[in-house]
Amino acid sequence: MELKELQGYATFFMTIFLVLMLYGYIMHLYRSEKKGEKDYEKYGKMALDDEIDSTPIETNPNSPKKTKEQNK
Amino acid sequence: MQSNAALEYDYSVAKLFTLTTILFGIIGMTVGTLIAAQLAFPQLNYLIGEYGTFSRLRPLHTDVVVYGFLLSGIWSTFYYVAQRVLKVSMAESKFLMFIGKFHFYLYFVGALIAVVTLLLGITQSKEYAEFEWPIDIVIVLIWVLWGISVFGIIGIRREKSLYISLWYYIACFLGVAMLYLFNNMALPTYFVSGGIGSIFHSVSMYSGTNDALVQWWFGHNAVGFVFTVGVIAQIYYFLPKESGQAVYSYKLSLLSFWGLMFVYLWAGSHHLIWSTVPDWMQTMGSVFSVVLILPSWGSAINMLLTMKGEWNQLTDNPIIKLMVLASTFYMLSTIEGPIQSIKSVNAIAHFTDWIPGHVHDGVLGWVGFMTMAALFHMAPRIFKREIYSRKLIDIQFWIQTTGIVLYFTSMWVAGITQGMMWRAVDEYGNLMYSFIDTVAILHPYYVIRTVAGLLYLTGFFIFAFNMIKTMTASAKLTEEPQHRTPMAA
Amino acid sequence: MFHWLEKNPFFFAVGVFVVIAFAGLIEILPNFAEASRPVAGLKPYTVLQLAGKEVYKKDNCIACHSQLIRPFKSETDRYGQYSLSGEYAYDRPFLWGSKRTGPDLHRVGNYRTTDWHENHMWDPTSVVPQSIMPAYKHMFKNIADIDTAYAEAVTVKAVFKTPYDAPNGTPLGTVDEARAAALEEAKAITADMKNQDVKDAVAAGKIPEIVALIAYLNRLK
Repeated sequence: MELKELQGYATFFMTIFLVLMLYGYIMHLYRSEKKGEKDYEKYGKMALDDEIDSTPIETNPNSPKKTKEQNK
Repeated sequence: MQSNAALEYDYSVAKLFTLTTILFGIIGMTVGTLIAAQLAFPQLNYLIGEYGTFSRLRPLHTDVVVYGFLLSGIWSTFYYVAQRVLKVSMAESKFLMFIGKFHFYLYFVGALIAVVTLLLGITQSKEYAEFEWPIDIVIVLIWVLWGISVFGIIGIRREKSLYISLWYYIACFLGVAMLYLFNNMALPTYFVSGGIGSIFHSVSMYSGTNDALVQWWFGHNAVGFVFTVGVIAQIYYFLPKESGQAVYSYKLSLLSFWGLMFVYLWAGSHHLIWSTVPDWMQTMGSVFSVVLILPSWGSAINMLLTMKGEWNQLTDNPIIKLMVLASTFYMLSTIEGPIQSIKSVNAIAHFTDWIPGHVHDGVLGWVGFMTMAALFHMAPRIFKREIYSRKLIDIQFWIQTTGIVLYFTSMWVAGITQGMMWRAVDEYGNLMYSFIDTVAILHPYYVIRTVAGLLYLTGFFIFAFNMIKTMTASAKLTEEPQHRTPMAA
Repeated sequence: MFHWLEKNPFFFAVGVFVVIAFAGLIEILPNFAEASRPVAGLKPYTVLQLAGKEVYKKDNCIACHSQLIRPFKSETDRYGQYSLSGEYAYDRPFLWGSKRTGPDLHRVGNYRTTDWHENHMWDPTSVVPQSIMPAYKHMFKNIADIDTAYAEAVTVKAVFKTPYDAPNGTPLGTVDEARAAALEEAKAITADMKNQDVKDAVAAGKIPEIVALIAYLNRLK
């Protein structure tokens, strides 16, 4: 059947594509850290240092009024 | 908008969901213990007339525990964690505050109505998707409100990056939304037939084998995206925060996340092995279930390694103890599931008590312990009082752990015994046992399970007592604790 | 390349959705048309049988009984021919169940009679002494909902083209015709029953749930 064959190919290539993406992601994670572009482990601190007036790891430029200065 | 007074996190919605977590936990587990007892002592079926039989109560047990206890737990932690990791308070947005409260009240009313319809036997008879279409619509509304909360609070965040817990909350939201919608596609017969019969009745859009596929694609993954994804979201926040140790490897947590997302949805067809769905799907379900060990253990090992060098906390801090045991049970459960998905094992295990045994080492050990640990961690921050009694947590821990071990060991033995008896043949190739022989032999295991249920339920009552005392009678705290949760001896 | 995914909640959500929706599409779509084809000679349920299926659902029999005979000798010896996909073509929803606290029922109509079911539902231990199944005495009193069952038949006929009113098939007709036909069918079943209350109710034109349930169970072959 036409449709079934098409679906078979779609499954096959999509699976390969997603697996490649996943491996690409692993490489990306470790390589960018090695090159010093990025430090993923610092994000782990988001759970530890989570007071409302603690400094964000990366500040969102669109965040609401900065009430933090007043709180210091 | 805000005055110079210090801005604080607003826990009012988290507080409401904390209360329903306790309430639905009590109801769901009491019903569960009752129906376990009914299998051992059938006379217990007649306590409340036609509304009290095992078959009527069983969906009540599963739905109240999953959608009552567990979802309340997920939402109470969400409304707590999301603010903190995004460093933005719900008090900063009147709109989100309103949505959050509306979410809660609609959920509470919806849940009560759902309980009544289940008792009345108004059901689609699809496991974990029993509710008829009017309730489905309310559920969709509740879910949309939660979605607005999730993306709303992300929209006003101060922290640009999303912490891994939020990834899991978002996945829980999206996954369940997709699955629930597709599985509950049904036509209300009242409208199609031009006003004949009951208004509640509907007929599934899918028939037979297709319906089975959609149902178990839903059934497996709704379990996955609530029991697994929603609870991993909690442990990734609460274990690091309580122990003061950052996640062992943030990169591993990201990888496990994508791995889990990709693999999980394939595994649904392992519920249909040896059924009439096509062989390739059964095989696919089997294979992907085994692959699923990797991302599951990735998360679990990450959690255990987070405690590296700090294992002394396991003895000092009962909340850490609950969470470490939870991740250990998660590992047990995620290796047991794939084993049951192997075709030859499934031939014995399917339809037997080994399956509820598997479910319960996951839900009692992993989900139950993690949810209670999260509530214990939040309580002093939400209510500004220390935990009422540390000793009670210890007692509860041991009672419930004993209960879990009794539960799954008795069900392992019961399941394998029954599975082997069904297929046993004598020297001439005739079946050796009539069906009722295989039921009668299970009596002692059903009794053990009832005891196990009673133990876990007792532990849950101790937990509820401890929480209520914490809210009302415990010593007040002047400052929010940093990591370790303060508790009275 | 992956940075935008981690920072932008919208792209992130889309990414997650694509990854999780993929499996569903592949697993479910390819087989859809094929799996809904009925086996030759399969007739749609009569209105009374549908009402019985509603009783089966209402009292949630799937909590303990499966309707799926797996292709093993031990199962075919015990329950009969293994189940085929096309036999379920008119089952909305499917009622395979996931747990056998009691035996499989997919072909129960081959080896149990009206009389047996009547005794069994009234008191299971009267026919199976060690049974742990609860009695369902309320089914002898509650009246089955024939109108809703008719509405369901009309719906599946109109929307899913289930072949009601086809030559040599299951007749449906108007709601009055369907009520009358259901009552006739119920009378044939009560002829084999002994419970006087049930007989009286059917004589008075009302069909207790037990009669509809037995009609459904007898149909499972």
